[in-house]
Amino acid sequence: MTRARLASLFRNLVRGKRVERDLDEEVRAHELLLADEKMRAGMDPRAARRQARLELGGVEQVKEQVREVRAGHVLDSLFQDARYGLRALLKSPGFTLTVILTLALSVGANTAIFSLVNALLLKSLPYPHPERTGTIYTRISGSQPSDERHNLNGEQWELLRDEVPALTSGLFGTTTGVNLKAGSNLRYVHNGRVSAHYFDVLALQPVLGRNFSEEEDRPGGPKAVILSYSLWRSALSADPNVLGRSILLKSEPHAIVGVLPEGAVTPLGADVYTALQPSRDGEGRGTNFKVILRLREGATWQQADAQVNRVWSRRSVRYELNGNPGAQVTYHSVPLQKGQTDSLRPQVLTLMLSAAFILLIACANLAGLTLVRMLRRMPEVATQIALGASSWQMQRRYWAENLLLALVGGAVGITVASFALRLLFLLLPEHFLPVASVALDGRVLGFTLGVSLLTSLLFGMLPALAAQKVDFRSGMARRAVANAGNLSLRQALIAGEVALTVVLLCGSGLLIRSLVHLQTLPPGFNREGLMVAKASLDDVRYHDPAAFQKLLVDSTAAMRRIPGVQNAAAGSNLPYEFTGNDWITLSDGQEAGHEGGADWVYVTPGYFETLEMPLLAGRFLTEADGPGAQHVAVVNRAFAGKFYGGRNPVGRYINNDTVIVGEVADVPLSSGLDRVAPLQTEETLYVPAAQLDDRPSRNQPVLSVVHVWIQPDWIVRTAGPVAGLTGQMEHALASADPDLPVSGFYSMKDLLARTLAMQRIEVALLGALAALALMLSAVGVFALVANIVAERTREIGIRMALGSTVGQAMREIGRSGLGASITGVILGLAASVGVLRVLRSVVFGVGVYDAPTFSTVTLLMVLVALAATILPALRIAKVDPARTLRED
Amino acid sequence: MSPEATALLQGTLHMLILKSLMTGELHGLGVSRRIEQITQGTFVVKPGSLFPALHRMEEEGWISSSWGDSENNRRAKYYRLTRAGRRQLQNETERWGRIALAITRTLEAS
Repeated sequence: MTRARLASLFRNLVRGKRVERDLDEEVRAHELLLADEKMRAGMDPRAARRQARLELGGVEQVKEQVREVRAGHVLDSLFQDARYGLRALLKSPGFTLTVILTLALSVGANTAIFSLVNALLLKSLPYPHPERTGTIYTRISGSQPSDERHNLNGEQWELLRDEVPALTSGLFGTTTGVNLKAGSNLRYVHNGRVSAHYFDVLALQPVLGRNFSEEEDRPGGPKAVILSYSLWRSALSADPNVLGRSILLKSEPHAIVGVLPEGAVTPLGADVYTALQPSRDGEGRGTNFKVILRLREGATWQQADAQVNRVWSRRSVRYELNGNPGAQVTYHSVPLQKGQTDSLRPQVLTLMLSAAFILLIACANLAGLTLVRMLRRMPEVATQIALGASSWQMQRRYWAENLLLALVGGAVGITVASFALRLLFLLLPEHFLPVASVALDGRVLGFTLGVSLLTSLLFGMLPALAAQKVDFRSGMARRAVANAGNLSLRQALIAGEVALTVVLLCGSGLLIRSLVHLQTLPPGFNREGLMVAKASLDDVRYHDPAAFQKLLVDSTAAMRRIPGVQNAAAGSNLPYEFTGNDWITLSDGQEAGHEGGADWVYVTPGYFETLEMPLLAGRFLTEADGPGAQHVAVVNRAFAGKFYGGRNPVGRYINNDTVIVGEVADVPLSSGLDRVAPLQTEETLYVPAAQLDDRPSRNQPVLSVVHVWIQPDWIVRTAGPVAGLTGQMEHALASADPDLPVSGFYSMKDLLARTLAMQRIEVALLGALAALALMLSAVGVFALVANIVAERTREIGIRMALGSTVGQAMREIGRSGLGASITGVILGLAASVGVLRVLRSVVFGVGVYDAPTFSTVTLLMVLVALAATILPALRIAKVDPARTLRED
Repeated sequence: MSPEATALLQGTLHMLILKSLMTGELHGLGVSRRIEQITQGTFVVKPGSLFPALHRMEEEGWISSSWGDSENNRRAKYYRLTRAGRRQLQNETERWGRIALAITRTLEAS
């Protein structure tokens, strides 16, 4: 387009009125000039004017012809189509509202889920050159193939750090809860334990000070701490001279060497960071570390992989081969993004798939609605075409209308999505997602626009194709077009969406059943009337057995004195919590020498009594089971079952010198041993906290390591609600140690909810999508039947005049809606059999082919379809045969 | 206007209008009469073709318009050639010459 044309386009669009007036004047002047000419030639004025009008061929037609060649004509007619569409939509508010609501909900659901996908799987990590960051996956072939992120042990780390020049590697261990004391400021904080160069991998530079030196990361090196920006502000009043100052962490002085920048995100999200000081000893004996990588300048990932495989293949112990002899083990680097979100990937993709189902269901509904609307308007359209509108023009108007609906629906959908996301974040526990935020960014909005347009294309296509078969001349003649072909098309749409709904309902039904199963596992203790306080004992003062012992005795005694408290105790963990484990050797009888893993819990006397765990054999632990006394343990029923074939374990010896004195009932816990479900009962060994000091595990004192991973619980039992109980518990703990902050108070219900957070979220999200699908399907069936009633009112009237009853007419009409729904249910059940297999790994306590779930879903769907059929069919009762017959 | 003439007119209307404006400014009817005169009545340009062409050409910048008074004191819109219009006329004339020559040769060939 030339510049002159562009200027004209601008003028036509901006000063359209003036241009129009000009044109009108010009054409009218032409008519007058023509008439003048004729009069000059001798015609009388009236004849001349008539002749001029004839010759001109109509002022409006000429003007229209000029408009058509003008710049911006296409844009202009688009506006016109949109205006026309808007008017037509406002004329049928019921249709418009239904469509926009349907679109808003379905597009909103898709937008919300996609923004999760975007944040977790698509968006780059907030570090410079994210493509140069990564982690290592272990690929094992053989009888049990796998390809996933493994934890590292100390030997792997040292080889990686020292002998892989292509990579800068950073290591981190479990983030722990520790107690921080800065001056008089005492608080419980999350401590990220990271190696030197961890922040270099993330390319994070402190705003104050520096990252950890290699010296500080060496075992026994100087104790240093790096603060997060928010902790620096809240606990140290943003003091700029904080570097070199010493604060107490775990009661040990740590020198502050750095402060991270504001808003800096690390995968750990901790309050403070200390040097991990990894070695082949202690924690490094096991695979307790995770690694992150940054490719060095000039190196390639291929080189890095080759180097890692070379150095790791000549290790002394290759634990990957345990229980999988002869397998091939190789290592390869994957992007850090993938490494961090892989565990959530199946869930997120399942959700995205479900959201796509919702979109299809919505499309089916909208296609049905649009089809009916189009057929109803056929006489009007036929008339307009007869009056000279082109078929292309009608097509354009139809699509403009759809487009308008899609855009409005999409816009409302974005609002729905942001609301849904806010709701989701209320539901999610803190630090649940490995990303700082889930935002509706440009990519998400682009997705929404795309989905809206795609939807309008999908639901617009079918009616457009169906309408091509309609003959306009007969369309004008007949008042209503209800042909059998269109009805079966609409029924097929309903059957399809009901089928998808059934699949979603079955899926969420299974998840609900699974959650109910987990939440109602036989507790094995009395869940009511318990209050739990947790505090971190990852504290150098409590490496001393005497101090540890004194703390437990004093604090539980103080808690027992709280008015209203019946009993109090402490233990390394409670039912529903994650449990440590240990390796057990049986020492006597026919089982002597047998070995195996068992969950491991230390408890104070009164632990079982406070929880009210039933004693099955022997006795509970008492104060007499002290440091110098005979080593004793209590086991649970699963332990007796696994190691002694269910025979009475009391009196048997394990680990050489420990005698089993009692057997208690099983409680559900979150296993660290052989995890088959988020909650399960497992062989468990309870040992007296007082005997921990001389119970060497892996050749090192238990007390210096156990509290790195495990935060003990203080529990009290009350008969009823006690006012200010948590405050008094805090006070009781402070009376035993004023420098020990409580990290949190929980009821047993809270602990259960914490462990089942993932399951609850899955149920909530998939359940919400299934409910949405059910609602959309109900609307679809309702609309189908309602439209049939409207189309066949006359026919019904005639039949009733001929003696048919209302009931017969309702059955006749309702059959179409119910028939389609039942076909859909059958298809859906068949599809579920195939699809639900993917849920096998997340469903516990029920099979994926669960008869109660399938039959409940069938019943629910049929009832909803029945209601959605009967409601509109009731209108038949209002049909007045006499009036219907008089019409026309 | 015969059907044959219409077909010919399609491609040449712009050229004829430009040519008619060579001698000075004209209003729409003037352009139409001028073309009749030049072609000795072979082409009669109807308003339905004339005005779209004039507006299109104005948007292209080949002609410009202004309101003025006609011979018997009627307000009318007058069109005149712009520099771009003269260039366009020259181009079209050359092109037309080539086409006419080619067609003549084709028809004369045996």
